[in-house]
Amino acid sequence: MNLPPSSPRALAARCALALVAALAGLLGSCGGDAGAAQQTGKTFVYPIRSAGPGSLDPVRGSTTYDNQAVSLVYETLLQYKYLKRPLELEPLLCEAMPEVSEDGRVYTFRLKRGVLFHDDPCFEGGKGREMTAEDIVYSWKRLADKRIGTKNWWLVENTIAGFDAWREEQNAEGHEFDYAAPCEGLVVLDRYSLQVTLTEPVTRFLYVLAMFQLSVVPREAAELYDTGFSRHPVGTGPFTMREEDWLTSRSLDFHRSPVYRDERYPDEWMPEDEEHGRHLAAGQRLPIVDHVRVECFVQDQPMWLMFRTGKLDYAQIPAENYVDAIRKRTKTLKKSYRDEGITYHPVPLLDFIFRGFNMDDPVVGGYTEDRKKLRQAISLAIDLKEFNDTFYNSQNVVYDGPIPPKLAGHPPGGRSDKAYRGPQLERARKLLTEAGYPGGEGMPTIPYYTSLAANSSEQAEMMQRQLGQIGLKMQPILLEFPQLIQAIDKKKAMMFSFAWGSDYPDGENNLALFYGPNESPGSNHFNYKNEDFDRLYEQIRSMPPSPERDAIYTEMLEMLLEDVPYVGSMARTRNYLGTPWLKNFKPTEDFWNWPKYLDVDEALRP
Amino acid sequence: MSEEIGPLQKFLRGRGMRKLRRDRMALAALSVIGLYLLIALSVMAGVLDNADVFDRVGPDNVAGFWGTQDGERRLDHHQLRIERVERAAKTTDPTKSLAEFRLGGLRASAGTPEEVLGRVEEAWRALDAVAAYDELDVSPEVGPLFEELDAKVAALYEEPAGFAGFVQSLRMSLGTDRQGRSILFRALYSTKVAVQIGVVASLISVLLGTLLGAAAGYFGGWVDHAVVWLYSTFSSIPWIVLLMVLAAMFRGGALDGTLIPVYAAFCMSFWISPCRVVRGEVMKLKELEYVQAASAIGFGRVRILLKHVVPNTAHLMFINFSLLFIGAIKAEVILSFLGLGVKNEPSWGVMINQAKAEVLNGFFWQIGTATALMVVLVLAFNILSDALQDAFDPKHV
Amino acid sequence: MWTYVARKLLYNIPVYLGIILFLMLALRVNDPAYAFLGKNAKPEDLLAIRAQLGLDQPFFMQYLEVLSFDFSIESWANKGLKVSDMLRASIVPSLSITLPALFLTSIISVSIAIISAYFRGRGVDRSLMVLAVVGMSVSFLVYIIFGQYWGAYLLTREGGIDAFAIGGFEPGLTHWRYYCLLPVLISVIVSMGYDTRFYRSVMVEESSRDYITTAVAKGAGKRKVMFVHMLKNAMIPIITRIMTTLPFLIMGSLLLEVYFNIPGMGRVLYKAIQEQDFPVIQSFVVIFAAFFILSNILTDVLYALVDPRVRLS
Repeated sequence: MNLPPSSPRALAARCALALVAALAGLLGSCGGDAGAAQQTGKTFVYPIRSAGPGSLDPVRGSTTYDNQAVSLVYETLLQYKYLKRPLELEPLLCEAMPEVSEDGRVYTFRLKRGVLFHDDPCFEGGKGREMTAEDIVYSWKRLADKRIGTKNWWLVENTIAGFDAWREEQNAEGHEFDYAAPCEGLVVLDRYSLQVTLTEPVTRFLYVLAMFQLSVVPREAAELYDTGFSRHPVGTGPFTMREEDWLTSRSLDFHRSPVYRDERYPDEWMPEDEEHGRHLAAGQRLPIVDHVRVECFVQDQPMWLMFRTGKLDYAQIPAENYVDAIRKRTKTLKKSYRDEGITYHPVPLLDFIFRGFNMDDPVVGGYTEDRKKLRQAISLAIDLKEFNDTFYNSQNVVYDGPIPPKLAGHPPGGRSDKAYRGPQLERARKLLTEAGYPGGEGMPTIPYYTSLAANSSEQAEMMQRQLGQIGLKMQPILLEFPQLIQAIDKKKAMMFSFAWGSDYPDGENNLALFYGPNESPGSNHFNYKNEDFDRLYEQIRSMPPSPERDAIYTEMLEMLLEDVPYVGSMARTRNYLGTPWLKNFKPTEDFWNWPKYLDVDEALRP
Repeated sequence: MSEEIGPLQKFLRGRGMRKLRRDRMALAALSVIGLYLLIALSVMAGVLDNADVFDRVGPDNVAGFWGTQDGERRLDHHQLRIERVERAAKTTDPTKSLAEFRLGGLRASAGTPEEVLGRVEEAWRALDAVAAYDELDVSPEVGPLFEELDAKVAALYEEPAGFAGFVQSLRMSLGTDRQGRSILFRALYSTKVAVQIGVVASLISVLLGTLLGAAAGYFGGWVDHAVVWLYSTFSSIPWIVLLMVLAAMFRGGALDGTLIPVYAAFCMSFWISPCRVVRGEVMKLKELEYVQAASAIGFGRVRILLKHVVPNTAHLMFINFSLLFIGAIKAEVILSFLGLGVKNEPSWGVMINQAKAEVLNGFFWQIGTATALMVVLVLAFNILSDALQDAFDPKHV
Repeated sequence: MWTYVARKLLYNIPVYLGIILFLMLALRVNDPAYAFLGKNAKPEDLLAIRAQLGLDQPFFMQYLEVLSFDFSIESWANKGLKVSDMLRASIVPSLSITLPALFLTSIISVSIAIISAYFRGRGVDRSLMVLAVVGMSVSFLVYIIFGQYWGAYLLTREGGIDAFAIGGFEPGLTHWRYYCLLPVLISVIVSMGYDTRFYRSVMVEESSRDYITTAVAKGAGKRKVMFVHMLKNAMIPIITRIMTTLPFLIMGSLLLEVYFNIPGMGRVLYKAIQEQDFPVIQSFVVIFAAFFILSNILTDVLYALVDPRVRLS
């Protein structure tokens, strides 16, 4: 009979053995994860709120998660100064900011010497070689290679002289893609010098150079690993990552690059940085930590739990836990958290959330006094603070003008006295009467186009009520996002709810939204056409950041505030919490290469 | 002269039922089940207001009838109470809004909008006085400030009296959830959802399983093979996987968001158990004399099946019904977790899942209430099915 | 004997085909091409993708292809990752939970059942059974929520003992206690109610058989009778029941894996269904069903070996 021995003694013995083994195992290693990554040195652990990056190849990535991971391993020509606000560019892979020609079209970059790629078997002898200007050109040409993808071409479309034509030529049917084929706008002057000629003299080009998709990659690795390059990064950055250290959907491990050149913590800081002690590390060699570990979380609760048990070095507060950490009335961190040494960093995003008008519309559009007064009245009736309090937990920033917080051109405190910011019902009623619609009489129902999101019908209801206070009627039209875009592009939407996230931290990106030639189906959804505005725009887009430019920004802002092509604005806030052992922490979502500046005091970690 | 006794009466007078009636635990369980049924029926009849179940009746996560909450939470609660009245007083027609204002059973206190706004201002001042302190539970100065705040906020509201007052205290007796809804009333409403799902899913599964099993057992041959093949197939797929595949099927379709996918999921997996059991039983019954006699007399096979064989499996149907009912209720919680359960109504599964985040902050009212109500019902059914099995199928394992 | 095995194998083939058939039909109710490209796909892209993925072939051809057990296909949601790699990587985590759980549950439940059956009807028995029934009435999810809250969260934060992980997984024995013990314990507590009652009733039934009463009447000690005679025969249904749960071991406890973020087969399947990762869903169910069928056959064969009456029927 093939049955297990059933004598009581045998059974009991087996039970006992099992229990003892279990107990031994339990007692054997109490406290902490026995044998967890036993690495010496400082480790910085942080969460990513998704299943992880899709790809570590700069040209194949596009999401913010790809950005976060790529920014650790790769570098771009320019980067943002870590501590300076408003954001400013500085050279990263070049010696200094580029020389710009008189007409603003030719940029000459002088590269740093001694920038090494990480050691990798793709190189001869396994040692990473020095980066040269050729590498930059190669990396950017990959954006044009349709075999790799077309996702990121828009970043350099219509920007570099001859590049668009070069792309068409190389990708043509039957033609073999040749990276060595010359392109007139991308010229290698010598080993460390690169000359770029633009189609138009726009300073926005510099911001594109700081985007992760424009990082430098070595030809050897891209060719050798082909599609596997997504998981086998080889860059010039402060950290390296081995293929086996990426556990899909779980975590990624990065290590300090032993060949990283001498880069130092910035010695330029803002007054608020002194409060947090972020200036103390000035002059330290980068990266400061030895390891970076990224934990992937698809759901928020496990991330929050891990943060609260001290396993993560910082975290964003999930929406449902906001009231647990922050006292609503004062928007300050609750005492129990402060007692643990946790720090609170509200980070406004570069959002421009608005309710736009179609300036070509026969009813609300136009530039005559009565039409302007109509729009001003509507603007005065709308209470954005109420929207903020009801739907966003009061966390959004409400501001005047289209330029988001933290950028030059954003009015101080977010307020401009030229703005028609509601609720000012008396003034609104007066203007409405002057516009020719006393008490709203004679004014047709305004169709209000908005997208089908979680609470869009409630938000539309609130709009209806607010406008109803001055006698205006509004009809919400809820559409799926693609249909909403279509309606706006076809100039069908009289009034619509929309948002714009800045492509780069410069107000020019938002002012471009009102530039005449960009009218629908372009990004100027308002179809705003103001010659004076356009003239100023053409002027500032070739100007580098400067007080003169700031003054023009303000002038343009005030034009918009007077003409009211939109009612706005709001920007979302992300709430970051830092732990007491994390130093030099100044979170921002505008760029992601800041882990190299961080420091962890391992002694303070629980 | 003996009358023709119908199968039902025979069943009720049978030995099994008598045994059951003597079992006190079983009777207790039955009465509990009856109570739940009563609650479910009253909810269906409309005893509970929609507002009570779906709308906010108070601040978020207010505690139930015992224990007090810490200072931070009380502060947040008061903030909401003030904000609500303020919003009502600032609409296009404040007098009307204030008159219509409800927070659960509470109304806004009497007065013109200006008077109300004046009180609101005082309340804000009192709130800010408390909010100026860091340590709300320890500093001795905070105590009287809190009392002041309590008073000012209370001045904004009018407590209902009499029966409405009783309902209001009932409403708040077990606290509120993350969106300020009454936990007690939602839990009671969930009873109806649970009973509904349980009854429909189990009934269909039992009927389906019994018919198929009886047919398989009685007719044998290809019918038997077909049925056995069918249930072997379905039981080879883990129940959860079956559920998820079904959810993927229904997603985005017309039925997404209704209970139909839930029913489909349950029925597709629950019919197997009664089918197997009934098939076995019927195979045994087939050999019994009276069945063979009926066949010899010439009664049609289907008639024999339906009139003689199936009724004798009635006890199995009952037993299986109660077992499946339990399975359905517990499974509903899992379905909610996986995102496949009830969507537009509260249910115990919905409540337990929403309570996950609350537990982290030491707020156990929602999970406690939902679990308690569920445990009592499931326990009652467990006891009942045990008793049924003891009574009718003493040889059961 | 071998005819029995052959019969079982033959019999189960149509079952297996049935599973695959049902699964494939169910998955094609919502056009998978849409899932691959997203809602706003253009019609030309849809046609192209269908051709590329082989979805435009007649159903029968697709059916055969799935049956060919080709796992080198690529996952849709994780580009660059093959299904075979995903499968291989997910087996160990699943087994890390289910195997120890089965082991512990069996030992604990059988032990408690023995105690209960021995003291049948008395206080110990009744309280144990009440506990079991109440335990059975609480939802799995509630155990998980509280388990994680007390075991992982509170213990670490307030108690300072970081004994259990909030979630996650690392292979290796040294990491097992940290990542797996808590889910295993929860799994044990959840199953204990059912198992204990079942084993107890098996033993009780066995105890009431004639040969036991005969033995006792003949003067054999109750204890000896219990443990030697009764247990031996009670083991048959018990072992059978344990064996029927074996196939589900590989699937892992889906709930535990999803909640504790353990990358086992259950979680992979769950994510695949959410992400509508077609090849993964098909492959995993194919594997699992095959395993299940084989295990069923194995159980039946073992049972037949043990109980001659079965193979003769």
